[in-house]
Amino acid sequence: MKKFLLAFVILFSFQLSIAQNSNEKLSITFKDETIENAIKRIEAATSYKFYFDPTWVSSNKELISGVYNDATIDTVLNSILSKTDLNYIVLKNKVILTLNSTIHDTLPSNYFSDAPVETNQNNGNDQSDNPVFHQQYDSLNSYSVTKKASIVFIGKENKDSVKRNYTVSGTVRNEETGKVEQNIYIKVRGKNINTSTDLDGNYTLQLPRGINVIEVKSLSHKEVVRTLMVYDDGKFDIGINEKSNQLDEVVIKKKGQKTTETTVSGLVSIDIEGIKNVPLILGERDILKVATTFPGIKTTGEGSAGFNVRGGKDDQNLILLDNAVLYNPQHFLGFFSAINPYTAKKADIYKGSIPADFGGRLSSVFDITTKNGNPEKFSGEGAIGPITSNLTLSTPIQKNKSSIIVGGRATYSDWILKSLDDENLKNSQAGFYDGIIKYNNAINSNNNLEATVYYSHDKFSLSSDSIYKYSNRLASLKWDHTFNKKSKGALIFTNSEYKFNIDYDSNDINAFDFGYKVNESQLQAKLNYQLNPKHTLSYGVASKLYNISPGYQHPTNPDATLIATDLEKERALESAAYLADSYKFSDKLLIDLGLRYSFYASLGEANVNTYQAGLPLSDETVTGTTHYKKNEVIKTYGGLEPRLAARYFITEDFSIKAGYDVTRQYVHLLSSNVTQSPTDTWKLSDSNVKPQTAQQVSLGLFKTLKDEEYEVSLEGYYKKSKNILDYKVGAQLLLNQNVETELLQGEGKAYGVELLLKKTTGRLNGWIGYTYSRTFIKLDSQFSSEIVNNGNYFPANFDKPHDLSAILNYKFTKRYSLSSNFLYQTGRPITYPIGTFQYGNSQYTLYSDRNAYRIPDYIRLDIGINIEGNHKIKKLAHSFWNISIYNVLGRNNPYSIYFVTDQNGKVKGYKTSIFSIPVPSITYNFKF
Amino acid sequence: MKNYKFYNIVILIFLTFILNGCTETYPLITNRFEDVLIVEANITNELKKQEIKLTKSAKFEDEGYLPESGAEVFITNDAGHQYNFSEDAGKYVSTIEFQAVPNTKYQLHINTKDGRSFASSPETLTTITPMQSVVAAIEQKDDKNGVGIRINSFDPTSTSTYYRFEFEETYKVVAPKWLPTKLEWNNGSPTFEPNSPVTKTCYGSKKSLELLLLNTNNLKEDRVDYLIRFISDQDYIITHRYSILVRQYVESLAAYNYYNTLNKTASSGGTIVSPTQPGLLLGNLKAVNSDSKIAGYFDVCSVSTERIYFNYEDLFPGKFPPPYYTDCTQFCYAKEPNNPIPCTHCCHYAEDLPYGKIRYFSGDGTSSVTTYWVDAPCGDCTTIASNIKPTFWVDN
Repeated sequence: MKKFLLAFVILFSFQLSIAQNSNEKLSITFKDETIENAIKRIEAATSYKFYFDPTWVSSNKELISGVYNDATIDTVLNSILSKTDLNYIVLKNKVILTLNSTIHDTLPSNYFSDAPVETNQNNGNDQSDNPVFHQQYDSLNSYSVTKKASIVFIGKENKDSVKRNYTVSGTVRNEETGKVEQNIYIKVRGKNINTSTDLDGNYTLQLPRGINVIEVKSLSHKEVVRTLMVYDDGKFDIGINEKSNQLDEVVIKKKGQKTTETTVSGLVSIDIEGIKNVPLILGERDILKVATTFPGIKTTGEGSAGFNVRGGKDDQNLILLDNAVLYNPQHFLGFFSAINPYTAKKADIYKGSIPADFGGRLSSVFDITTKNGNPEKFSGEGAIGPITSNLTLSTPIQKNKSSIIVGGRATYSDWILKSLDDENLKNSQAGFYDGIIKYNNAINSNNNLEATVYYSHDKFSLSSDSIYKYSNRLASLKWDHTFNKKSKGALIFTNSEYKFNIDYDSNDINAFDFGYKVNESQLQAKLNYQLNPKHTLSYGVASKLYNISPGYQHPTNPDATLIATDLEKERALESAAYLADSYKFSDKLLIDLGLRYSFYASLGEANVNTYQAGLPLSDETVTGTTHYKKNEVIKTYGGLEPRLAARYFITEDFSIKAGYDVTRQYVHLLSSNVTQSPTDTWKLSDSNVKPQTAQQVSLGLFKTLKDEEYEVSLEGYYKKSKNILDYKVGAQLLLNQNVETELLQGEGKAYGVELLLKKTTGRLNGWIGYTYSRTFIKLDSQFSSEIVNNGNYFPANFDKPHDLSAILNYKFTKRYSLSSNFLYQTGRPITYPIGTFQYGNSQYTLYSDRNAYRIPDYIRLDIGINIEGNHKIKKLAHSFWNISIYNVLGRNNPYSIYFVTDQNGKVKGYKTSIFSIPVPSITYNFKF
Repeated sequence: MKNYKFYNIVILIFLTFILNGCTETYPLITNRFEDVLIVEANITNELKKQEIKLTKSAKFEDEGYLPESGAEVFITNDAGHQYNFSEDAGKYVSTIEFQAVPNTKYQLHINTKDGRSFASSPETLTTITPMQSVVAAIEQKDDKNGVGIRINSFDPTSTSTYYRFEFEETYKVVAPKWLPTKLEWNNGSPTFEPNSPVTKTCYGSKKSLELLLLNTNNLKEDRVDYLIRFISDQDYIITHRYSILVRQYVESLAAYNYYNTLNKTASSGGTIVSPTQPGLLLGNLKAVNSDSKIAGYFDVCSVSTERIYFNYEDLFPGKFPPPYYTDCTQFCYAKEPNNPIPCTHCCHYAEDLPYGKIRYFSGDGTSSVTTYWVDAPCGDCTTIASNIKPTFWVDN
């Protein structure tokens, strides 16, 4: 190449006059001589001097024979070089040999034709008039030839060539193994010419004369680009390399389905990587807290463990971690989520249009999946914060096949508390930890196995004499199998256990140990079948066995006067079958038709109370108990749950969606506290407690703007529910053998409008959500003891009409970003003591109608700064710092307001706030 | 260890707010006060002028409860009778004597002077089950010895089931250190005067405060054996002679549930472990044509009444009587406490005497160190009971 260029330089810079026809004639005879020898002999016989690269001629082993008498140098050279790729030019007594190319001594006539090319009618069939230059320096449309890509010359430039296309063929081989590669796609850049290699790795291309940039592409191989200078037919073999291990990093960015495209209208998908910028309490990343900033998902209060989705009670959410139910998704009364954000992969929250494969809860599904371990190399991630530390490690077991990920998190507040001098704090306890292990094995292309084990534990004492403990344990095993291209299936087994325990350990003679436990096991088969491009069917069955120990209270002191209480265990079997069809009616209309049938059986062994007919249930109307043997069916319930959803594209980026779903729920959370607390108990439906049902209609408008930079959605819903659990005035729920006598089942009604504006990319990103919603409940009965608020609809505990959340991030540079979090909510309703009255000889507190008043509004602003570590590729660990201030405004938001009657019979009100001052925190996160 | 310190601070802040909570008193805003009519109406099978009590609910800061006066109150029955009530000393008393009879539906009507009108649901008289006996006997309760007063009754038809009880106890009090002479402080000098004999013997009285409820649901028979009152043998009220009047009401299920719930809400708030649901309790009374609130229950129930007496010697023959209401050891006054020893009180008796805190015991009164005193109840029973003998009282 360099010599070649040199030739040009010499040619043009010295402005040598070119003589094509020399007068010198020679007579010479060659007999089986190499070209090199022939040239040497010509040089010896004449005054001509040859200039060339010896490799050109030495590589040509062809032997020359011939007799030349009084021949011109042209004649001799044409003859001896005819079978080589060499060209020549004679400049006075210098002969310059060139490989492939011809040196032109005149510029072609149309060389400077920037203007429309003048058609040469006389020589229309002879394109050789226009010589080919592989690098036209002064041309506007020069080929971009990268430095590395050298030009390969095919054939010998022949001025007399008249062919339009030349055949270039060759073999594609793997450079490492030397094996031929079949089915490799080869195309010519900018021209509509392409081919693929055959079984032997051979290819043939018809290429026009001149420069052709060919690209060799394959998913599994590194792309090869070669620039060919085609002068004639020729052979070109290509070596390619496998792609793996060749690249520094392969970033596959999956673009999720656009929100305008799916049929589900009430879906919130949380990008777990993205939430690291949201400022939260003491720097803890928290998926569930982020979820509550989206319209339609609320908590009853700061630090409350439950969620209220679209006017649903906090027991109406199916929270799944790798398909297993997580009964208490919160740590420490709801200040931290029990979901490790470093091991979680994604969280999908269905507020409406719940797919038919989910069931068992009325209002929503929180479907949280855990990451698979890194199958290629050992890696890890962690965070050090003021309250907790977090470490996640992942390692392959069998490279590229199976891996394991282990995540753990723990508080060290307990340890610090113990090392403090303050007596009060020394005796306090507050601690939690959780751990998760997930194993993944891609057995082969048709089978995949996943197993998850999770455990969380909480321990705290609010008063010095009682210790509260609660724990979640779950295990999940999933086997995915692909039957064929159209049919797939999964078999899932899960088991979950939630229990709590109160250790009342005062010096009191009646110290006691109190406990509760719920355990469930489920076997589930999910299948998918792609009937045709229009219909995709999914179907399956599931069956779940519940075992509940509703409570025990055992005195810990042998001299106690307290009598040990053990409530009878509850058992039940909940089963379901479903069939759903995703029907692509047209490009614009997609319909999901789902039907689920659920069946529930309350099982023995149990003693079930029978109550006097026509009277309210009370301890006094128990007429007797019926004994049921183990596994004997006590009572069954069941019913159809249609799930319908449809999407219609009005324009390409604007769609309308509608949904209708029916849900049934057979387990109920007994919680007379306004907020969900860890001591709330789950109760199974039985002959005296009916299952809850709900119907929801929803309609949504979805639009993307500016090439999907902005997403806007407006959704509305109306929901009616039946047999919603509530409690009689004065209800006592714990350790109550006849707990059904304290329960009321009423009708619920909820409606709302949700607006979400989301900006996903750019320097400023985030979302603003606003919800206007109302939730009512009606408790009416023929018995006055079962009527609440005159049997009229009244606001539910979690009715908060206005809810505004704004999560905004601003990236100053790649390393620095500022994030803020603003929340406004109407205060929740409260039953307020409004006075006292005297009855008989005692004084009583007079309460308002149920939920007639509201606590003050909730307003909070948090600000956080994220500082990413440097962006050097080679370093030990990626890291970032998060500095945040929680509750910047220092607003004294009430956590709870409660009333206590003191010894003098005076009622006093108390307000508890949790973070009433700005709370700063700093967290260090790292990843390796 | 700079970081360690930082963590400490944050955790301290955190724990202060979580563990001790940032709890502050929350003002009970009484502009939320609602005027609720409280009705106490027990119509029984006892032939008498029946009484109904109407009161107003009070604000938290109010001292007492105002009666709802000027209301029109009457009871109708399904036989077409109307019993009118007239206001008398904060109560409404029926203009004629009447009694509730079985198999008749009674309905209470109230029209207040400000135009609110209320009516009860129709109620019928519950089963009439008289008490068989009320017995006082030595008993043990919670490892303490004492006197238990038990009610026994039996309903062979098993229709009574729900019972409510009331009692009113009266007991004789004799001041143990009563003297015929008393010392008064007049114009800076002590003077002796004869003591009034009516301050020696008194009669104390207490009514049951809580709602006492019982049901015989889980019993094989509708048989009552109810400990209505337990008095420790260390309680001074049984030192001499004791009398108790007990009433047994047979209640309807609805009334029983109402009282039972009222009892539960009385202990407001409950505990963290078992909170109770607060709310306005609905009885069998409702506003007619308005949303005005009303609390209470129109209770038409059978009643049976019994009074018994006992003396301390009857139950504890030859035993020491229980200690008195208060410690009656004599004491004197001194500048320095316990110098001399019996002078447990400070300074001079003239400072306590005008407030009626002490009664004279011995000494000439000139020196506060040599004049002895006792606490007022020891020398004067009227400080803790009434010296008017109840009309029903029968001695021995």
